[in-house]
Order: sequence, then structure tokens, then C-alpha cells
Amino acid sequence: MGIMMFRKLLTIFFVTFIFGLTLAEEPNEVYPFEDSIHEERFQSLLNELRCPKCQGSNLAGSNAPIAIDLKREVYRLVKLGKTEKEVKTYLVDRYGNFIVYDPPFESDTYALWLAPLIIFLITFSVILFRRFSN
Amino acid sequence: MKNLLNLLPLIAFVILIAVLYSFLTQDNDQLESVLVDQSVPEFRLPSLENPEIAISKSNINKLPAVINVWATWCIACKVEHPFLMKLKEESIVTVYGLNYKDNRTKALDLLKKDGNPFELSIFDEYGKLAIDLGVYGAPETFFIDKKGIIRERHVGVLTTKVWKEKFERFLNGDNDV
Amino acid sequence: MIPEIGHILLVIALVLSFVGGLGAFALKRELPVLKISFILNLLLIGSFFALIYSFLIDDFSVAYVAQNSNTNLPIYYKFAATWGAHEGSLILWILSMNIWLLTFIFFDNSKNTNFSNYVFGVCCLVIFSFLLFTIFTSNPFERILPIPPINGADLNPSLQDFAFTVHPPLLYFGYSGLLIPFAISISAMLSGQPNKDWASSSRPWTLLACSFLTIGIGLGSWWAYYELGWGGWWFWDPVENAAFVPWLLAVALVHSLLVTENRNIFINWSLLLSIFAFAASLLGTFLVRSGILTSVHAFALDPERGLFILGIFSFFVLGGLVIFAFKNSTKNVASIYSLNSKEFGLLLNNLLLVVLAVSILFGTLYPLIYEAFTDGKQISVGAPYFEFIIFPFAILLGLLQGIALYISWGSTKSFSFIGKLIVEAISISLLTLVLLFILFDELISASFFTIFIFAWILAGSLMINFSLKPFANYLDFVNRRIGVMLSHIGMALLVLGVGVVSSYSSEKELIIKPGEKVEFLNKDIELLAIKDVQGPNFISKTAEIKVSDDKRVFNIQSEKRTYFPSGQVTTEAGIDTGLFRDFYVSMGDNFKEDSWSFRLQSKPFIRWIWLGALLITLGTFISSINLIRKQ
Repeated sequence: MGIMMFRKLLTIFFVTFIFGLTLAEEPNEVYPFEDSIHEERFQSLLNELRCPKCQGSNLAGSNAPIAIDLKREVYRLVKLGKTEKEVKTYLVDRYGNFIVYDPPFESDTYALWLAPLIIFLITFSVILFRRFSN
Repeated sequence: MKNLLNLLPLIAFVILIAVLYSFLTQDNDQLESVLVDQSVPEFRLPSLENPEIAISKSNINKLPAVINVWATWCIACKVEHPFLMKLKEESIVTVYGLNYKDNRTKALDLLKKDGNPFELSIFDEYGKLAIDLGVYGAPETFFIDKKGIIRERHVGVLTTKVWKEKFERFLNGDNDV
Repeated sequence: MIPEIGHILLVIALVLSFVGGLGAFALKRELPVLKISFILNLLLIGSFFALIYSFLIDDFSVAYVAQNSNTNLPIYYKFAATWGAHEGSLILWILSMNIWLLTFIFFDNSKNTNFSNYVFGVCCLVIFSFLLFTIFTSNPFERILPIPPINGADLNPSLQDFAFTVHPPLLYFGYSGLLIPFAISISAMLSGQPNKDWASSSRPWTLLACSFLTIGIGLGSWWAYYELGWGGWWFWDPVENAAFVPWLLAVALVHSLLVTENRNIFINWSLLLSIFAFAASLLGTFLVRSGILTSVHAFALDPERGLFILGIFSFFVLGGLVIFAFKNSTKNVASIYSLNSKEFGLLLNNLLLVVLAVSILFGTLYPLIYEAFTDGKQISVGAPYFEFIIFPFAILLGLLQGIALYISWGSTKSFSFIGKLIVEAISISLLTLVLLFILFDELISASFFTIFIFAWILAGSLMINFSLKPFANYLDFVNRRIGVMLSHIGMALLVLGVGVVSSYSSEKELIIKPGEKVEFLNKDIELLAIKDVQGPNFISKTAEIKVSDDKRVFNIQSEKRTYFPSGQVTTEAGIDTGLFRDFYVSMGDNFKEDSWSFRLQSKPFIRWIWLGALLITLGTFISSINLIRKQ
């Protein structure tokens, strides 16, 4: 019963969404998916994408106009079947690395990703060295 | 050796403090545009004046030019409007308008009342082109050089000062920055 | 009149702290430190009350009140608004430093005049510098004259919540509490006695500061969860990291002091950690108020004030490190401890904590470093990065924590405990797998590790497998170590909560009209009605939702509130709390007519995170009180 109702709602939603686009003044914020894989991908992206205008907020936690627009864009892309990586690349191409909370692993950021390991190895070695030279 | 080790934390913190000090004096409240040195993205959107007419990238042809992102709900845009008029009236550079997520009637009214600095006005009702340009608010202004390449983006009100500091040098097709 | 009195009291405190600090270092005889500290506290309390009074009577001629209050604000928020912004929160900081100092002096039994003077002196200097900063750049008593505004701008609606009345004071007490171990370490170095006595006088205060920091951070997390409306409980926001780093260093300090107290080694570690922990506190204050980092928590300030704070930070931290480099008369005692000793275990423990703290700090500052080095390019470093790096550290620290109570001091040839550990490890692994399959339908590999660590720490803290001692002995053992056991068990519960909620949460966005039903996780969700509700300073659209399944039916409410003076809109989430699962509903937007969007979430075991934090707070508190009483 629940699923039937949900599918009915989904159809109504899609029909109104298409027409609603031309009529609605407020952008709507509703993003139903038919399967959980896409749903999870969408939610995961909303958590990992940064709102460009907010004071440190991801898309999931922001109602700023640009955040709503970007949410809609992410929804559109996920609906088209894009992978998480593809959606992120799409947005990074337009807004730069600032828009993903996951910094890339490239020459400029090797220091960032490797620092904890390197610092640990160096200090651990120093400690062992001093210990065994006593 | 022992003394050197004892000095290490001190040296590390001096570096930290120098770094923090440099951050304080850094002034950055704008996102740098990653579209710099790329050409204007392809698009096809209706004109503001006439919904039947479509504007696309090929219509942005009177170069060099600026594309100004504005809307009637944007208060700062009203502040920069006179400067845009000046750019047009003194033929400094062509100004194209990107009306961003706005109401067509209100936008046309404003242009009639305050003057229309735009060579062409694109009606980007849903902010699609804006997203392709990496726009995150209004007003924003992009400088497009003679070859159709985006050279600079300014977020915020366009003033004489901003023009001189950020955009003027691209007018002559300088490739050295 | 009252605001002026508040201001004058601050100025008197400024002079007194300066004189006290100077006297402590210049004079060689015993100072009436208790009396001076008491007077300082009276002055600060008086000043604080003057500010509160101005809020309570709606004195909008005081600029700070006008910026942070409003006639419609409920009275308990007017009281709390005192620390709602930069200037007032500084008064809270300074007051808490004074309370710590007074408490320390009151319980200080050391007969060493030099030592007591120096501790007092250092604290006075820190208090003095904060007062200088407040009076000259951030005076909360500034007036808007001759025409004060009729009404104020109102307290930020996100702050109009119960948690706001407790989270900042507790957190500030935690931050400022690290002043005492810092002062003690400086004093120890200057008076030539950095040894086990110094360590034993420092440890209880470090534990107490830890206690406040833990509850402060825990409350912050809990508050963000239900207030921000989208179900997250930690965001790796720069300001959150600014509180986490001192916590990590304070924990490392506690453990280092333990070793110094017991074995008279790790003295340099203890000294440096005392300086670093307080430095991290000051650094946190700097990061939050300087404006160099963007955060929803940050006070919007100008770089000039940031410069002043950086100056304070530099003076005290570099001062401490200079003293460390040149006046540190620590002779390295030849320390004999084997690799399977408690000393080595704690050494590893502290190394991991410090490297983690440095890494988190580095990650937080990295966007700025990156921008400087790439000439303007920008980058964000957020949850994916921090979660990635904390995971290995947490596992290693968890493993160490689980064996902490098993291993003994010194050098021992006995490796017998390893056999017992292996048996324990295998049995816990099996138990974990069984638990995961029973509780959840799927096994997510990350959660296996976290739940294993939870059980590992729990078993280790309870020492249940170690040997079958008579129960009476076990009770006595527990009684003696109740503080540390509670803290470690708390940590275990926290790990459990984090592990489960990270892997097994589910969520769904949907649109619904009153009367309609949807299915989510085998439950029927029905929107009963959308009501219009009037609050004291807001109007709300309240959604009433009914959730039902085979076992139970419950109602849950979520709201969209619009606050009057500011017009700000907030989402109030509806949460059905449970020990094993939170059901979380947040209202979205009005789609069409009476259709609204909602976000539904299931957060299993999330309460265990804050339960764990509570136990850690309790455990460290008990340990600290026990130690203070013994002094």
C-alpha cells in the first residue's frame, strides 16, 4: 500500500515538476529517487559539496539560493546516471576545488594527505632511535 | 644536541606565528574563478526583451566585453548600475547583461527606468548559465577579451577602482599579467 | 551608570592583575595570593553582573545589548545573550580564568613560596593581557549615546535554545582551565623543580579542565544535532576543530603527567604538553575571532583584533618555549622501561594524540596555506579528509586503551598478558560479527573495526578477563580506579556510537500533503496536519507527523520558524529519541499549496556518543576531585 502510494506521488510529482518549472516562482526542493543507490549517492553528494556562498556549510545543511540551485543541479545529474566522481568533477570545473570538501590528491595537496603519516613516522623513528641509543 | 632539541618547539612555533600573521594580512573574500583563461561556455537562452529570440555564445561577439550578472532583487546591483551606464556611454567596453533568476517584467521595468547599459540581455531564469560560469551570487562581472577568453571575474559591485585594478589591463589584449 | 561601573571594575582588575603579576615575579616573599585572587574574582563577577543587568533591563544604550538582545527575547536568553558575541564572551573567559586561579590557590598545599608566586604571577599576566584586549578593543560596555535605539537587533535565532545557556560557559571553563597546568609548568621551570611533585600538583587540574572541555564539546555536538536540522553531529568545522585540538593535547598531558608522577620521566613531554595544550586553547580563541577562517561559529571580527590576540598568543607561548629552551634544568633520568611496559604504551599513546592534534590543526589551516602557495587558488578541507585521517589513529589509540590497565610499569620480562590478549581479541571479534548480523542486515567493514574497538576498550577497562580474582578484590580495584574506568568506558561507548551511526544511518527526502502516507524503513509515515503556531518571538508552521509500525505508534513534530525582528528562518527538527535509534524529521519547504518536503532519517546508536562523552566527563571529574582531596 505504501509503495503504491509512493509511486503515485512520484508520478504526480514528475508531471507537476516539469510543468511546475515554468510556473513556480519558488524553486522546489524535493528530490525523490526510484532506487536507493541513486538516493544514497545524492545524499552523499549533498553532504560532501560545499555551499559557495555560506559560512562553511554543505549543500545538505543550507537553504541559500545558490545552494538550492546546486542541489537541483546535483539531482539532475544523479538522475542522468552520473557517478559521484562525475558530479564532483562537473562542479569543480565550474567552481573550483573549493566546492568539494574532499580535497583532491594531486601535487599541490600531497603535503596535506601525507602529512599525518610522515609526521608520525618521523617522530616515531626519533623516539625509537633515542630509546635504543641509550 | 640536547639544546637543539629544546629549541625545536620554539622554532616551530615561530614559524606557526609567522604563518598566522601572514593569514591575517591576506585579504580574500572572493572565490577565484576557475574559468579564467577559458572561453565562454556554450549556452542558449532567451533574450530578456523578447522571449522568442534566443541568444547563444555566438551572439557575444562585440569583444572585448564584460558580462554582468544582475537582478532586480540584488541591492548592490543598483549601486553599480551607474557605472555600467558609464561603460556604455563612454564606449569603454561592450556590456552584456545576464539577468539572473529574476522576474522578466520587473527587470525590463528597471532597465526602462534607470537606463539600459546592455548590448544584449540574456534571461537566465533558472541560473543555468550562471552555474556554468561558476556564479554564486549577484552582482558579478566577467571580463571577456578580444579572443572570447574569460580573463577575470569580480564578485561584488563594479566600481571605477575595481575596473582600474582588475579589468582595465585586459582591454588592450595584454597577455602578460 | 551600571555599565560604567562594569567598565570601571574591569579597569581596576586590569591594574590589580598587573600589579599582582609583577609583584609575584619581582618579590621573593609570600604574597597574599588568596586575597588578591578573591578580589579579582569579585571585580570580574561585578563586571559580569553589570552586563547581565543591562541585558535584563533592556538597556539598549549599551551597544552590546542592542546588538544581541530585544524586548521580545525570553528572559533566560537575555541572561545568556551576555556571552552571545565577542565582547561579552571575553568577560566570561576572563571570569573563568579567575575562578580557576582562585580554586587552585585555595587547594594549593605546596609550601614552596616561589612556586606559588610564579603560578599566581603567570595567571595574573594572562588575565591582564585579556583584560587589556577587552578594555581597549572589545569593550562590552560601550554606549550608544545620545540617542539609544528603541529596540535591539535580537539574539541570533539559532542561539535561542537551552544548549546556548550551558554550552559556552562549560566550554570556556575547559579552555581556560588549561591555564593552570601551563602556569604550573612555567613555575616549575623557573623555580627549578620540574619533577614528580610538580606533576602531581598539575594532574588534577588538567583532569578537571578535560572534564569541562569534554562536556563542553559534547554539548556542542548534541546541540548542533538537534538545532541545525539536518542530523549531523560533527562537521569538522574550523571552530569545532579549534576545541578538539586542545582536548587531544589535554588528554595527552594527563597521561604524560601520570608517567612523570609515577616514574619521574617524560618530564620534557609533560612540560611541552602543558605549554602546547594552553597554546591550543589560545590558538582556538585566535582562530574563532580573527576572521581568517570561515565558519558558522566564528565571531565576525576585524583583523586588527586578530592581531592583538595573536600578540597575546605569541607572548605566552614563545615565552614559555624560551623558558623551556634555556631555563629548563631537567636532567634526563636514565629511564629503564621495556617495550611492553606502561611507559612505552603511554609514550605511543601520547605520540598518536599529538600527531593527530597536529594533523587536525594542519588540515584546518591548510586552505589558507594552499591559497598562499598557489597564489590565490582555493580549496576546502572538510569531513572526508578528517574522517580519513582520524580512522587509523582512533584504531591504534583504541587498541592501546584496551590494554592500558593490563600492563605494568617498568621493565618486565613477562609477556604472558599477550596470550590472554589474543584470546580476548578473537572472542571479541566473533562477538562483534554476531552482534552486527543480529542488529543490522548488512556488515559494513568500517563498522566492524569501530565496534571491535568498542568491545576491546570496554573489556580492557572492566578488566573482566584478566584474572579470576575474588569478587571482593575486584570491587576494591574498581573503587580505587572508578574515575579512569568511567572515562575509558565512556570512550568505548563514544566509539560505539560513532561507528554505528556512521555506517548504518539511513535517510530519505520526500514530499507529502496532510493526510498522505509514505513508507520508510518498514514504518508508515503519515503527515497529520500543518498548524500555524505563535511563539514569543516567532511564528511557526508546525508539521504533525505520525509514525507507525507493528510495534508502536508515535507522533513527531517539526517546525519552520520565522523570528520577528530579524526575519530569520530556522528549521526545528522533530526527534523521537531512543537509546538504540533516533528517528529524525526535518521540515523542508512549501512545495505547492499544502504540500511540504521533509527529510527523514534514522540514526542508530547516536545517543551513545553523548552518553560516552558524559561518562568521560564524569570519570575525569571524579578522578580530579579525588586527587585534589588527597593533596
